[in-house]
Amino acid sequence: MSSIVNLSVQQREHGDLIDRVFAECGVDVRRCYQCGKCSAGCSVHICNGMDVSPNRVMRMIQLGMEEEVLNTKSIWACVLCSTCTARCPRDIDVPRVMDALRIMAKKRGITKGFYNASVFHDIFMNSIIRHGRVYEAGLLVSLKLKQSGTMFADLPIGIPAIINVAFRLPKLPPKMKNQDQIRKVVENCMRIEGEN
Amino acid sequence: MRFAYYPGCSLHSMEKAYDRSVKAVCKHLGVELWEIPDWVCCGASSGHSMGHLVGLAIPAKSLVKAEKEGLDVLAPCAACWQRMVWVNHEVSHNPEMKEKISKAIEEEIKGTSKIYSIIDGLAAIGMEKIAQAVKKPLTGLKVASYYGCYYVKPPKVAHVDDPENPQLMDNMMKAIGAEAVDWPFKTECCGTSLIFQDVDTTVAMSKKIIEMAVKAGADVIVTACPVCEMNLDMRMTQINKRFKTNFHIPVVYFTELMAFAMGSTPREIGLDSGHCSGTQSLLSKIS
Ligand code: SF4
Ligand code: SF4
Repeated sequence: MSSIVNLSVQQREHGDLIDRVFAECGVDVRRCYQCGKCSAGCSVHICNGMDVSPNRVMRMIQLGMEEEVLNTKSIWACVLCSTCTARCPRDIDVPRVMDALRIMAKKRGITKGFYNASVFHDIFMNSIIRHGRVYEAGLLVSLKLKQSGTMFADLPIGIPAIINVAFRLPKLPPKMKNQDQIRKVVENCMRIEGEN
Repeated sequence: MRFAYYPGCSLHSMEKAYDRSVKAVCKHLGVELWEIPDWVCCGASSGHSMGHLVGLAIPAKSLVKAEKEGLDVLAPCAACWQRMVWVNHEVSHNPEMKEKISKAIEEEIKGTSKIYSIIDGLAAIGMEKIAQAVKKPLTGLKVASYYGCYYVKPPKVAHVDDPENPQLMDNMMKAIGAEAVDWPFKTECCGTSLIFQDVDTTVAMSKKIIEMAVKAGADVIVTACPVCEMNLDMRMTQINKRFKTNFHIPVVYFTELMAFAMGSTPREIGLDSGHCSGTQSLLSKIS
């Protein structure tokens, strides 16, 4: 992100970002007064998992910094723990805003803020659409093949843990009577959203 | 008492120790479980990032089956539990969304089934009744109850207990004779599914929690969520390597300790084999 932002241009071209976020999730980010309490308690941010702190994400929306905010890692790294929401003195549901930004980024095909997260969500959804339930073994293989740099990230759990996990992990996909239930629901949702 | 049981994917896959111990505790306490037939995944942790409606309609698909049976739901996974609670929240606050969800699942959703987590579900039975069912009190065992985030945050929707200092699980540990240690990270986040995306950040998050429980003098950490369990239990060696620490604290489900105290054997509930962190030290202490 560049350090100098021309606010007049941002406001002219993306001033309605805050309204579009509201339309997507019903949270009015105008209410945020930048106290920073959300960031102070955000464990992901504290452990260096975000590139921009949660309160700055809110500020970027207020300033209409659309391209910048949709390209952050933070909107994908948020785990929806809602610690921030529980503590926000202005009653802002920060993770719902994060979710709204993910949906907006996804619609525009912007995933480079946190490619591995976006890949995870795609693979997860494909897996449950196909099987009706999570098929972890299949999910893990697909993740390792498609994400970047995670192939060996789990090996440090140690050999005893790897053996224990391999023992516990079901090898075959889950068995269901009707495994197409989620596929149908997702298709219906797409159609209903399309009508509106 | 009879519940519609929604085990969720983890309990049917890696986390069988949770499934078995929940069922065992319910049996000891005379609670009947009716597993929702052909239930589907709740969609966490991705459905809601695909769209608000998708995130609600997927869990509603299984929830509506419990509604038709006229039963309240018992969902032992924190993520599943919260996804279902969101469905009821939207159904009761937003008529337009209620209609959309009904259309998406091709059945009318009414929001008439209450969604219980395993924490408030068991606590509702009463501490006296729990204490009465105990055959082998876990005297002298120091337990750090770790609640995680999804049961208590955001408090407007997820209010099993206090968001900063919950007590229900601690009370249940006391009811089975153990000592509940007082510690500050009961609802600090473990990193959940970030483990599949950014291992470095997630182990740093889990490490803070383990470290605090050890500092507080706990012999064991108990959880009520399969994701918390996985992140704390499975990553212990990795955490020790990365942070040059030497943590060897078992991490198990609180229902395992309850079932054990009520007479189940470790083998029946998976307490002997269902964890990476090793439960030998725990078993020798309580056996
Ligand atoms: S806690 Fe609330 S008001 Fe304070 S910076 Fe965060 S979102 Fe804004
Ligand atoms: S919900 Fe997201 S932004 Fe808020 S504290 Fe949790 S990880 Fe941080």
